[in-house]
Amino acid sequence: MDKTIALMLVLTILVVLPTVQLVFAAGTDAHEYVNRKIEIWNLFFKMMTIAFTVGAVVSGTLIWLVWRFRESNPNAKPTKYEGTDW
Amino acid sequence: MVLELQKPRPIWQIMFSTHHTDVGLLYTITSIAFFFMGGALALGIRAELFLPGTQIISDSMTFNRMFTVHGTAMIFLFLLPFASGVGNYFVPIMVRYKDMAYPKLNAVAFWMIPPAGALIWLGFADFTWYATPPYSAIRAPGPAADMWIFAQKILGVSSVLGAINFIVTILKCKHPDLPLSKVPLLAWSFLSASLIIIVAVPTFAAALVMLLTDRLGVSGFFDPAKGGDPIAYQHLFWFTFHPEVYVLVIPAIGMMYEIIPRFSRKPIFSQSSGIFAFVMLSIVSFSSWAHHMYATGMSFTEKTVFMIGTLAAVPASGMHVFNFIATMWGGRIKFATPMMWAVGGIALFFSAGAGGVANAAMPFDFITHDSYWVVGHFHLFVMGTIAFGSIGFLYYMFPYITGRMYNETWGKIHFIMSFAGTVMVFFTQHVLGLYGMPRRVYDYQPYPEYIVMNQIASVGAMIIGVSMVIWLINMIYSAGKGKEANMDDPWGLGGKYYFPYQAKNPHH
Repeated sequence: MDKTIALMLVLTILVVLPTVQLVFAAGTDAHEYVNRKIEIWNLFFKMMTIAFTVGAVVSGTLIWLVWRFRESNPNAKPTKYEGTDW
Repeated sequence: MVLELQKPRPIWQIMFSTHHTDVGLLYTITSIAFFFMGGALALGIRAELFLPGTQIISDSMTFNRMFTVHGTAMIFLFLLPFASGVGNYFVPIMVRYKDMAYPKLNAVAFWMIPPAGALIWLGFADFTWYATPPYSAIRAPGPAADMWIFAQKILGVSSVLGAINFIVTILKCKHPDLPLSKVPLLAWSFLSASLIIIVAVPTFAAALVMLLTDRLGVSGFFDPAKGGDPIAYQHLFWFTFHPEVYVLVIPAIGMMYEIIPRFSRKPIFSQSSGIFAFVMLSIVSFSSWAHHMYATGMSFTEKTVFMIGTLAAVPASGMHVFNFIATMWGGRIKFATPMMWAVGGIALFFSAGAGGVANAAMPFDFITHDSYWVVGHFHLFVMGTIAFGSIGFLYYMFPYITGRMYNETWGKIHFIMSFAGTVMVFFTQHVLGLYGMPRRVYDYQPYPEYIVMNQIASVGAMIIGVSMVIWLINMIYSAGKGKEANMDDPWGLGGKYYFPYQAKNPHH
């Protein structure tokens, strides 16, 4: 469990840090070198790519899971918890 | 056993009781009544928008009043009180205590809701569910607007009293042998939501006093003519009401945590990750309020900070979805009515969340701001996730409350119709928003795309309406004449684990 939390934290930092540095790089001067409009649209497209990929995987998993583990599926087996006071 | 309707009692005994199950029953029935009243207004709104031009509502002011009261009723008089009803029923049982910590305070918190509901419905204000200034401060007609403000004050006090009661019950009254980490996730969801209420609601309470004094002409906090700033109200409002979204959704997720393991015939995959995700959501709920306000002229840096703050909710929400999937994985799932609502709610929660991620990106938000995209997005949350979780849980509670079973076939028909209707209304509204249709409009341009999509949405709403009537009849009929439930195992899941907390609670 601790490893899972640590992995989640590392992944979060890896995603958040590049985004945060964009804020510090973007100044308010007229001659700033970061084109904020391009940066933010790039970020948006990256997020969309991630969102649609993850969305497809999770939705597909959910649909398969509902089909595979329904009790009327011929391959359904009793779980080890059935009949116990878990 | 806690069977409220199996041993009939005079209604006044329930009404004036301070026992947690009686108060829970009052909360539940009251909230369902307001759900049907608010739903009727929604059907009126959708009927009006079926075609461009005037259909059934005579003028735009009446239309504004209808969607204002619809939104207010659904959020403050249905979703919040329903969650309180569930919490009242189950939290003391789950923490193995005889009642809520302060039973009289609990009854007082409930009895504040009917007068507040009466003020909202009799006033019928017109300034949207968030009372946007400067209109609300200067021009919104009284006494409707003032009645709405007083109703919100009362509801705010009720929420805070309820939240204090939940926090004290869980933290101070739980059985000494029960560590906090073993408290069921439904009770944890009430602890998290109550902590959010305590922090968030006072800000709106202050904003309401400022709004009222503005309306009385003794101040000008939100009136630009007096040097006030309407944007300040938006900050105060959203500081309360973005976290309030989590106050609504967290108990619904808690309800799903109760249903999914039971019908998968497996324990929850990870109790600790569920607790961690609830705590995370409670914290990050305060980091995203200004994403409602990208279009108000904030600096780029501010907008980026709130964009990241909004996205910070994604990992915690993802942990819940992962936990649900992992719990179902390897199970032997019985798709009884409560499970169908819970799984449908998870699917729509994920869809609503994906829309939220898209909308959190500010360039996209500028396109969708104040469009029907936003209407589709938040309705997918409140209807598709929160109401689905709540309705599923009411089916789950039904044998517990009445000792009888509802009609399973009609329960499934109710789910299928509601799911199809929800997809038709709210997915379509996303696309409608991308086509540029503004929200809160009484009429719209007769573009073919607008007409077709509005008609799909209106038909979907009518399907939901019919399904809810089926539900109501099923509940009323089954409460009196339904088959007697096998209280050890109402759904034939093959074990005596339907009420595990009750079995361990000497008080029930």
